[in-house]
Amino acid sequence: MPPARRQPVRQAQNTSGPLDPDVISKRTKRHLDELERSNYSEPTGSGAHAGVSGEPDEEDEGVAPGGRTTKGRARQATISDKRQWDGKKPKKSTMNIRTAILYKKNLAVLLDESGIEQMPPGVPTYLRAVASAPLEPPRLLCSVCGYWGKYKCKRCAMPYCDINCEGIHNETRCERRVI
Amino acid sequence: MSITTCTVILDNGASTIKAGILGIHDEQPRVIPNAIVRAKGDNATYIGHEVAKCQDYTSLRFRLPFEKVGARTLTIHPLGPTRYSCQGFLVDWDAQKAIWDGLFSKEVLAVNTAESSLLITEPYFNLPNIQDIYDQFVFEEYEFRSYFRCSPASLVPYGPLLAKPNMSPSECLLVIDSGFSFTHVVPILEGAVVWEAVKRIDVGGKLLTNHLKETVSYRQWNMMEETYIMNEIKEACCFVSEDFAKDLETCRARPTRNPIVQDYIFPDYSAHRPGRIRAPGESLGESYQTLTMNNERFTIPEILFRPTDIGLEQAGLSATVAASIALLPEDLQGMFWANIGLVGGNTAMPGFRNRLMAELRSLAPIDCEVAVYASDEPILEAYRSAVAFAARPEFPQFAVTREEYQEMGSNACRRKFRDWKPVEKDSARGREPAKGKGARGRADEDDESPPPATKKSARGRGRGRGASKRQS
Repeated sequence: MPPARRQPVRQAQNTSGPLDPDVISKRTKRHLDELERSNYSEPTGSGAHAGVSGEPDEEDEGVAPGGRTTKGRARQATISDKRQWDGKKPKKSTMNIRTAILYKKNLAVLLDESGIEQMPPGVPTYLRAVASAPLEPPRLLCSVCGYWGKYKCKRCAMPYCDINCEGIHNETRCERRVI
Repeated sequence: MSITTCTVILDNGASTIKAGILGIHDEQPRVIPNAIVRAKGDNATYIGHEVAKCQDYTSLRFRLPFEKVGARTLTIHPLGPTRYSCQGFLVDWDAQKAIWDGLFSKEVLAVNTAESSLLITEPYFNLPNIQDIYDQFVFEEYEFRSYFRCSPASLVPYGPLLAKPNMSPSECLLVIDSGFSFTHVVPILEGAVVWEAVKRIDVGGKLLTNHLKETVSYRQWNMMEETYIMNEIKEACCFVSEDFAKDLETCRARPTRNPIVQDYIFPDYSAHRPGRIRAPGESLGESYQTLTMNNERFTIPEILFRPTDIGLEQAGLSATVAASIALLPEDLQGMFWANIGLVGGNTAMPGFRNRLMAELRSLAPIDCEVAVYASDEPILEAYRSAVAFAARPEFPQFAVTREEYQEMGSNACRRKFRDWKPVEKDSARGREPAKGKGARGRADEDDESPPPATKKSARGRGRGRGASKRQS
């Protein structure tokens, strides 16, 4: 008796029907956030079904892992105190300066504290200066080779151009972003 | 000490700092990375200007003072459907202080900050609470005598970019600043930024480099760790396509018929060999590794003109320029179309100006002249404009002095600087009303005998304030 034919896992998942548009837009958004990271080396998140990636974002701290802070916790090691130039003795900094150095604030916290969201409508702020939505629909470029994408993946709606690229797409982009 | 009162000019960009002393570095500022870098090769940490000493640029890790922090925090931030990225503000003051300390030391500028004035640039729409920290650092840490803080574009009217021979500079101009973190469209009327019409696209050099890195890693070599090298490749190879569809077809053709395809020879730091583009027909030895750049050369910069290519729901640069101009006084719009200036590193890409010109021409009214002025060195343009501004005799009147700061703190800066700032009746300012009133009285006194330029700026500011009052 021949061994029972087992379907590859990936194909089994591929047949599970189109993805929710919310999932797709969340995925796109996560990708855009990744493109803004300073030391972007690996995609975060474990595929389409993971809502939020679990690991803390240590990437961007890069140089001073010991100094990683969250709101309210003092930085362990400061790089600005370690290095002295000209052989001068460091001057004693004021309270404001020490606070700024030791408590690195998350930009979301800074945004909250800045109060720019509460400013009366009509006052231009960072949040209101963003470019408007595009008038023309997005054009379709193959997610594999960059040529015009004539077809769209039935599952994740990413465009591709021919059957070769479709194969690569199914292997590397559809399920999760592989680099 | 030989150093007496001097003016330090600091174009504090998110990627590089362009710094110099007025009168000494007027033509060529010191350009240092605004980063702390950890090199994998020697496992050493290089701060700001020290990066030049680094021998091996493979697998550098960056810590940038200007940073986007906590992407995930923002995804749960309740700001409706519009995605906004949030990098490009100065958040890591520890890193920034380390870099500035090195910059002011004898190793670079050798200035005694307590005896100097400072002109520093800040991001557009810098958050008010971050602006306060700028003030604190300038006066409390470095104890500058006086200082002036503004956005880079607001300096461009003083600079050489749009200056025409034998003519006074135009009253209306539109600056496109495409930098490391984002791209801004900044209209300037009579020397003052029209903040109501400033528009931002969340595409900058950092995103483009990361996207190139990702694309190349997917298609050829894994370059995900090599941000520094990929940035060099981007600067060497990328261009803005003037006919995207045609170039895309060209890239499908055989290499002999494809003028776009290029090989980039990777640097070899052990042999002290920098990276470069392979000359056509050049044969290479075994030790050389190359990267083939085909449609990556122009599909990456294309994102500036079509952010939707990567799923970013924002209008492209040309449409954003048109949208910004539409918000300006109708009778002056023609002037803005005819005075567009390009600054910032991304605008250095070949083809940028021509592509923008072509697209703007089709968006502008038919009877309008469209003119785009590009700089040979767009990265240094804001610095050179800053030099021209700081050299003016009236510059000291714009600056806030240490005494003024000691008397009324950051309020002094909020009143005097003419760039974007929070509206007057802000809840955070409510608890110090007596102080505020005193400061306003003083500001009015200052305005009594203003030179022409001050009048202009005061008018601009007055208009802004009036507009906000009407709204509230």
